[in-house]
Amino acid sequence: MLRNAIRRAGAATLTLALAASPALAGVDQVKLRLPLRPKLPLRGNERIALAPFILVSDPEKAKDKRLANIDVQAEFHRFLKKQLEKKTKFDVIETPPDVKLPTQNLSDLARAQEFWAAVGTQTSAELIVSGSLEFRVEDRSGYKSEEYTSPIDGRQYTRQVYVEQTGYVFDIVFLVLDGRTGEKLLQDEFKDFRQTGSKQRDELTGLFENLFSLENQILNTFVPRDREAERYIFTD
Amino acid sequence: MKLKRTVLLLLVVAGACTSYAHPEKASTQIAFGTYVAKKGLWREAAFRFEEAVQKAPDNARAHNNLAVALEASGDFARALAEYKKALDIEPSNNYIRRNYARFAEFYTAYTKTTGKASGAP
Repeated sequence: MLRNAIRRAGAATLTLALAASPALAGVDQVKLRLPLRPKLPLRGNERIALAPFILVSDPEKAKDKRLANIDVQAEFHRFLKKQLEKKTKFDVIETPPDVKLPTQNLSDLARAQEFWAAVGTQTSAELIVSGSLEFRVEDRSGYKSEEYTSPIDGRQYTRQVYVEQTGYVFDIVFLVLDGRTGEKLLQDEFKDFRQTGSKQRDELTGLFENLFSLENQILNTFVPRDREAERYIFTD
Repeated sequence: MKLKRTVLLLLVVAGACTSYAHPEKASTQIAFGTYVAKKGLWREAAFRFEEAVQKAPDNARAHNNLAVALEASGDFARALAEYKKALDIEPSNNYIRRNYARFAEFYTAYTKTTGKASGAP
């Protein structure tokens, strides 16, 4: 009786010991959170002015009726202001409505030191954000190969099917300018492409999907962020 | 009945302890380090992998694990050195190579300064 109990206990212990064993032989994937330093070394409480952006559009695509009801400039400004107010300690202001960009050329805009210094004086901003915005809706519909099993003979065949897809592209060039000197401190580009499986998707939803996926990168210009990374560790 | 329970309890405790019964072995330190790393206790994991590296300086796996733990703890300069040591020992190990490539990508971006601000500290 006692011998049986000990035998059973031994078996149970072995099972438990194996289960408690910290690692089985081989390799495991682990997740880490890695810090991302801000691209601009700032104090964190600067007064920052959001100036207008250049709207980039292809003359052909400018006629795109799907974009007629979207004010890309206003939507982007609202998004950027909200994110900066929520996730940083900056004093965020918008430039007065009478501030008009001196040029529609991005390179010239980045070099317009006197103009930016004047905007800085007018708004008392230490930093000014401007740049260019391009939002496009692309029709990606077309024929694609697909495998299917025939209900008649049960064999696999390849067939062509028409798939409706829409792509949303948002290309943002960010200019950060010194409000005191008007000098360009940083120029950076953020680009995102989203594809949906339907043609009926709303363009504004597409625009915000682009923006939310770029949120981390945009904020990382000013404040530290982090990102998830995967690494391999050996278990024995 | 009481005897049975006592014997079972003693065996369970003893069994659980045997998993890490040889702390003098590098493999034990790696196993325990891996166990705590998976729970997100990266400083403890780094300590364990450091022990493993001291016990087996030619063990590329221990150097790799130490590099990962140092990376997770924010000690990137040392992580870089450990990845390099791991690759020196086992240059054809794909896992170490992949880790190193990913780390190098991150570390390059991390150390790159792309702008300057006049009011910055």
